Amino acid sequence: MHSEYPPTLPAEYADIEFENNAQRMPLVLCLDTSSSMAGAPIQALNTALAEWTRELHDDVSLSYSVEVAVVTFGGQSVGAWRGPHLLDPRTPTSPFIPAHAFQAPQLTAAGVTLMTEALELSMHIVAARKAELRASGLQYYRPQVCLVTDGLPTDPTGHLTDSWQRLIPVLAEEQRSRRFRLYAIGVGGITDRGEQVLQAFAPKFNARLQGFPFRELLQMMSASANAEQKGAGDEVFEKIFSQFKTQRPAWEA
Amino acid sequence: MSGRRVFLDGKAVTLAEQPLKGGGQAAVFPVEGDAGIVVKIYRDPPGPDQERRLARMLTMSPLAARPTDANQPPELAWPTAMARGTNGEFLGYAMRRFGEPRHVQLVGLFTRVQRLKLFPDRADWRFLLGVAWNLAFMTARMHHDNLVIGDFSSSNVVVDGNGFVTFLDCDSIAFTDPATGELFPCLMHTTDYSAPERQAGGPATRQSDDFALAVLVYQLLTAGNHPFGGVPHESTSESTVKDNIAASISYVVRPEMVIIPRGTVDPSVLPPELLTLARAAFGPGVQTPTARPQAEAWLRALDKERGQVRSCTVRPLHTYGSHLPTCPWCTRASVTGHDVFNGPRPAQVPGTPPTPDQPPSPYAGLKVLGVVLAVIMLIVILANLG
Repeated sequence: MHSEYPPTLPAEYADIEFENNAQRMPLVLCLDTSSSMAGAPIQALNTALAEWTRELHDDVSLSYSVEVAVVTFGGQSVGAWRGPHLLDPRTPTSPFIPAHAFQAPQLTAAGVTLMTEALELSMHIVAARKAELRASGLQYYRPQVCLVTDGLPTDPTGHLTDSWQRLIPVLAEEQRSRRFRLYAIGVGGITDRGEQVLQAFAPKFNARLQGFPFRELLQMMSASANAEQKGAGDEVFEKIFSQFKTQRPAWEA
Repeated sequence: MSGRRVFLDGKAVTLAEQPLKGGGQAAVFPVEGDAGIVVKIYRDPPGPDQERRLARMLTMSPLAARPTDANQPPELAWPTAMARGTNGEFLGYAMRRFGEPRHVQLVGLFTRVQRLKLFPDRADWRFLLGVAWNLAFMTARMHHDNLVIGDFSSSNVVVDGNGFVTFLDCDSIAFTDPATGELFPCLMHTTDYSAPERQAGGPATRQSDDFALAVLVYQLLTAGNHPFGGVPHESTSESTVKDNIAASISYVVRPEMVIIPRGTVDPSVLPPELLTLARAAFGPGVQTPTARPQAEAWLRALDKERGQVRSCTVRPLHTYGSHLPTCPWCTRASVTGHDVFNGPRPAQVPGTPPTPDQPPSPYAGLKVLGVVLAVIMLIVILANLG
């Protein structure tokens, strides 16, 4: 089968691809690391990522098929991480790592908010990974992309921009074709305007949360991945998401 | 901080704040001060049907009349008490706890990294064959007791260090109340283990259980490979296990139909009789439920192989069926560099033979006990089924 994407597996991970023919579940964390996240928020994010990584390793069901990639937008650009390593933008290496081998990156916060570009990069790596999996004969569940931000999209000079609107029709079409499921989560001091952007990106799966509940957020992603593995209907994902959104313990639902 | 208070048969208990596990439908909570049980609480208020179902189940004790030794956990995490709120409202039920690390979801046997972590020094092919035997036995016994598992998957069965299995989600089992004739259907299913008629919305039956059993046994005997894996040639849309089941595309029967991932274990590791059953289940049995081998057929075929497993003399954790002249796992390791049962080893100079370093088996005594138990159980089950 022809693929426009070259195989990208470094030797040290070749063994992992050999593991079995499990249907894969690609999961992208698209994270805001701009200056507004500096200090306690980014520390909370790093801590939550490390805890979630441990939970992921211990979850026999998820670690069977989930593979994780991290995309960040901060500094002067966007970046894709393969586990703890920030990838050179020119490398063909895929940022996806099987859950059991995933290690959380240590993120720092500074710079501008290239949210649009980060979502575009997320869509690109998902499409590339899907092509790569198909070419290897490996099936996949619908990927999940989770956008987390406390701000508004800017251009490379840090000025607010409306360029994000170019994504709306693209994202709408991708969702309609069920190519991936996008979650758009606003945290911290995100403004009404910021929330409106997230609503436009992900009309069903957007939320504005108090504080920085990254741990709950990542657990929601796991619950959602579990539902995907089980073959749950859309209503189950909406239920999981609405429980998460209201930030109540599960049993109060 | 504590979680909510519920009443188990009138006795107040406090649940842990955080559930062990939460799905879309229910969450399972530990109970403070009682490590032996857990309580499953439904997210949406369960209706009167579910309450009647649970009430009925509490009067039943399926699979109780079979011999077990003290080491064997029950095969069903059967409800032990209703869980109610302060106003007497029905919330869920209590059951015995089958948690990690002693009990691991079956899917934990499907990847090498988890096998080595959770079942160190024991999860070889012989062990997987034994687990498959226990699964087939459990299924046959439940069918004998007129229970249909319904939602049967690698996530709701747990396995312990001796290879014994326990089915967890008993509240979704389909059965008919012998007293009133009321049918309690199974409303749940897991698509990767669902026969086509269930995907299409049909009811759970013994035959749909037989389909799921065939998939699970096949996965166990190939160290985790799903028989409906692989992307069909020339397919344009997104391809999933579910699609391949619906289209009856299994590489076990029709390998020419799909791109087979390079790590896939060859179906020939199954002994001939078991491979014949697999081909029946994944060929004609996909669309024709009555063509699927029944749990009892799997049990008989698995039982024949248990006494004949061969051990490799070269590498540890390599055991295989007696139909093979040489160790298939060594062959695979030499061809691909991937050892299905042992972790990555230091790189070797090409051409040098692998170092023999097999440890003595610490389970020889257990194996003898296992064979004796197997024979006793088989006699019992054949008597019951016959």
